[in-house]
Amino acid sequence: MKVSLEWLGEFVNLPGSADALAEILTNGGTEVIGREGRGEIPDKVVVAQILSSEPHPNADRLSVCSVDDGSGSPRQIVCGAKNYKVGDKVPLALPGAVLGVDFKIKSGKLRGVVSDGMMCSAKELALAEDAAGLLILSPDAPVGSPVGKLFPPDTVLELEVTPNRPDLLSLRGVAREVSALTQTEFLAPALPEPPTTPAGDRVRLSDLGCPFYTARVIRGVRIAPSPSWLATRLTAAGLRPINNVVDVTNYVLLETGQPLHAFDLAKLDGDIAVRAAREGEQLRTLDGGNLVLRAHDLVIADQSKAVALAGVMGGVETAVTETTVDLLLESAWFEPSGIRKTAREFGLQTDSSYRFERRVDPSGTLAASARAVELILQIAGGTADELTLVAGSPPDDTREVSLDGNNCRNLLGLAVSDDEIAAILRRLGLEFSGAGRWRTPSYRPDLTREADLIEEVIRVAGIHRVPSRLRAFPSASSLADRRHDRAEILRERLRAQGFSEARTSHFVSADSLSRAGVNGADATAIRNPLGAEQALLRPDLRAGLFAALANNLRRGAASVRLFEIGRVFSAGGERTALGIIVTGSVAATWKGALDKSDFHDLKGVVEAVFGKMTFSSTPDAGLSGRLENSLASGVLHRLPREQAAYFDAKAPVFYAEISVDRWLEAKAEAVRVAPLPKFPPVERDLAAILPKTVRYAEVEKWLRKADVPHLQNIFLKDVFSDESGEKLDAVLRSLTITLTFRDEARTLTADEVDRALETLRDRMKAELGAVFRQ
Amino acid sequence: MREELSALREEALRDIAAAADLTALERVRVACTGRSGRLTQAGERMRHLPKEERPETGKLLHALRGEITGALDARLSELRAAAEEAEMSAVDPTLPGTASVAGAMHPLQQLQKQAVEIFRRMGFALAEGPDIETEWHCFDALNTPPDHPARNEQDTFYLPDGRLLRTHTSTVQIRTMETQAPPVRIIAPGAAYRRDEVDATHLAQFTQMEGLYVDEDVTLGDLKGTLEYFFRELFGPDTKVRFRPHFFPFTEPSYELDVRAAALGGGERWLELAGCGMVDPAVFERVSERRGDDAYDPRRVRGFAFGFGLERLAMILFGVPDIRMFVENDQRFLSQFVR
Repeated sequence: MKVSLEWLGEFVNLPGSADALAEILTNGGTEVIGREGRGEIPDKVVVAQILSSEPHPNADRLSVCSVDDGSGSPRQIVCGAKNYKVGDKVPLALPGAVLGVDFKIKSGKLRGVVSDGMMCSAKELALAEDAAGLLILSPDAPVGSPVGKLFPPDTVLELEVTPNRPDLLSLRGVAREVSALTQTEFLAPALPEPPTTPAGDRVRLSDLGCPFYTARVIRGVRIAPSPSWLATRLTAAGLRPINNVVDVTNYVLLETGQPLHAFDLAKLDGDIAVRAAREGEQLRTLDGGNLVLRAHDLVIADQSKAVALAGVMGGVETAVTETTVDLLLESAWFEPSGIRKTAREFGLQTDSSYRFERRVDPSGTLAASARAVELILQIAGGTADELTLVAGSPPDDTREVSLDGNNCRNLLGLAVSDDEIAAILRRLGLEFSGAGRWRTPSYRPDLTREADLIEEVIRVAGIHRVPSRLRAFPSASSLADRRHDRAEILRERLRAQGFSEARTSHFVSADSLSRAGVNGADATAIRNPLGAEQALLRPDLRAGLFAALANNLRRGAASVRLFEIGRVFSAGGERTALGIIVTGSVAATWKGALDKSDFHDLKGVVEAVFGKMTFSSTPDAGLSGRLENSLASGVLHRLPREQAAYFDAKAPVFYAEISVDRWLEAKAEAVRVAPLPKFPPVERDLAAILPKTVRYAEVEKWLRKADVPHLQNIFLKDVFSDESGEKLDAVLRSLTITLTFRDEARTLTADEVDRALETLRDRMKAELGAVFRQ
Repeated sequence: MREELSALREEALRDIAAAADLTALERVRVACTGRSGRLTQAGERMRHLPKEERPETGKLLHALRGEITGALDARLSELRAAAEEAEMSAVDPTLPGTASVAGAMHPLQQLQKQAVEIFRRMGFALAEGPDIETEWHCFDALNTPPDHPARNEQDTFYLPDGRLLRTHTSTVQIRTMETQAPPVRIIAPGAAYRRDEVDATHLAQFTQMEGLYVDEDVTLGDLKGTLEYFFRELFGPDTKVRFRPHFFPFTEPSYELDVRAAALGGGERWLELAGCGMVDPAVFERVSERRGDDAYDPRRVRGFAFGFGLERLAMILFGVPDIRMFVENDQRFLSQFVR
């Protein structure tokens, strides 16, 4: 809502500066989100009338005009605009005028033709941001007079009116609010209601969407451009002047908040019917659209056709044009929900629908009509019928609401007195009706409950008066607390391993899933996605982390170490997953580069985070399998080369994804300290040569089951193999396993350990086919 | 014998002083005081001396052994100190340290963690709710009118089954009150979704932090005190907080909260950072209908609620120029948050 302070000042005494007013409105809940200043129009810019216009001899796009600048002799101006006609009045900057900061107008030649000044657009005079062509002035503008007289300096504030305050969508409404907030007088007298007569057959209402319709006939008007004062105010509010009658309806809409519509009476076929549209009925609207209506749209119709989309936009066939003589002026009240639905369906948000959607004051319908008639007669002439036709009746939007001062004080934590509460409510137009009850004004449909009145009290009194109170009470920790804290532990552990935390989008595309090797068939689909790229909710973290991998590699990263903890979605519901992706070598130091990341690095990272896990895979799965322990489970794999190449990875890429909800929700196990051993351990290395096909897990499992006396720990110290076969047959590998022996009650002798080891070797030879070097 | 000892002394002390390193010194030690060293041999020979000469020679010998041992020890620590000094000066202490580098926690996570810690200090517990929500939890229960624009397909993501992606974390208020009787003091960080075209300041999926406090005697003064404390803890004691009346369907009175602080750059500029207000009685009524009891009867309980976006806060706090940087996961960006 754009508010011209020059106009607003008609209804209320404004505070000293626009800044002060902006602050008052903002503190009252209506934010000022924009401000345009209209300064003084520069000197030597005068009203000129175009006498003739000829094509420029040397330039297709230019014209050579002769204009009357009031000096008595015509002046020649070269002009590039097209939007004028001979006889129009326009602003003319004479030589010596300075536009903007330092644009000085001079006499000169344009493409060889003398131009003795410049005709101006609204933008060139800083009157509007719209620069399309010359600013056409009102015909009543006196030729030769300074344009500055037509456009006195003004400030326009743009207000962000919240949806609960339809009363602020008019100048009078804003003025009433300012008067209440500043405790000054509301200067606008109540608008009188005109005498009425029942419309009978002349207006028939057949739809609940329009409970109240009024019409007034005006005959013999002369359609012309609006006078300057009217055009200027409309322009300030962001509306484009059209003609005097249409401009008056818009002017009254801005002044009172009541949308109006004028029909060309001669083009109406008989009586008015406000009815539901017929399915498929068509209407050509003022904006050039051709609407195909549906049965839930409300229309104004005559006897043969729909003539307007009720409360949204008029039809072009019955519009007021230059040839219009007789008018039918509509002022009606429409139900907000129907207007909202229709306006949204057709994508038509008009100044009219915007207000009806938010609920127009039903008690102002007739007064606004009378105000418009007064202005039309004053500006366009003609005579109005004495009586306004009315059909139906407006809803009663006033309400009785009770307010208990104690409830108010308790909710606010502010000792505001009953007297002050009453004074505030009165200033806002509420009337005390006894016994703690208040009658709300019809223009405040948002006030229906005690809470609404309390809000009004603190809005006017100001929250700055409420003393801040800081109290803290303990809360029992929740499951969400535990999940949060345990997730932080995961993050810290991964961070310590050199991984950074990523956050990828919850939206993925079918393509990105298939590229990442995810079956997206069961992924949760969005019905109205922003595009195919965001059509699905991620079923796991792969697509996002693979894209993050590619992003980093394409920007030259030598290694990528990222993880993400986040929600993933499936038909079964939402769960929390941890994804870890790694490629390239770990950061090198001057002591020498560390190894390139490999499968076992990532396996080790996962185990460092979750503790020991078992890895299982099918024989043909390659480097891909499942990791599992009692609280977490997931997958670990090396990306197939082709897939890794797609993401621009030159080194192998390893990925693990673990479901972590159970781990997050588990209580941390209490530590129970084991007694420290009293006797020293004995360690022996066992260097077993085995076929490569024997997996280490089998060896370790065999050792654990072998029931070796005093064996306490098994640690794989080294793995050796030689592809060339020189040092060791290529199908074999040597596993060096450190075995730790200990007895809790005594020191073991070297002899007995060696004997146990000898027995073990023999059994491994026999049972596993191991060979031992001497 | 006396002359002999005197010569031995001179020679030993000279050799000790001349020993250039620990090995040479050890050789001297063995030659003097070792098992077959000269001093030891001199002791052997003393046995052949006349009986009356022995005590005096013994004394001399003892003194000499003490003197030589002392000289050896002194030379030993001199050489050790020199060796250590040589060893240390061979190392360039300005070479970089070689500890492994820790990764970074995501900036939004760091901010969230910090926020959680501050609210916990005031006795708030965490709460969660699903991202995929019912229209009832997201709109109806939060007093949003049936034809409110926020419910549009243009603004809100829907699933084919009619459920939606929550447009705010306020749904967690409802989820919590459904299952937990007052008093309730919760904060709920989480994802929210709006059908905004993605640009430098908008993501279709973003992060919010919700708060709710319901008890029998909660006031607007508590709301003020709580949020003022929070932002001062977060941005420093010079932080100024302004509550600007606004409108939300689920609170009344409602406020937008503006903050001004040196930590936010500028210092003169008010930055809109949060929405808040007193829980609208209609919300308590919806919850009461659902629960079927009077635990949240609006005549008995009152509450405040608030919510803010973490991305916007993080952008201002860390000087991040484009919101998309939070989801691009460029390691050059993330590594700046290692701490």
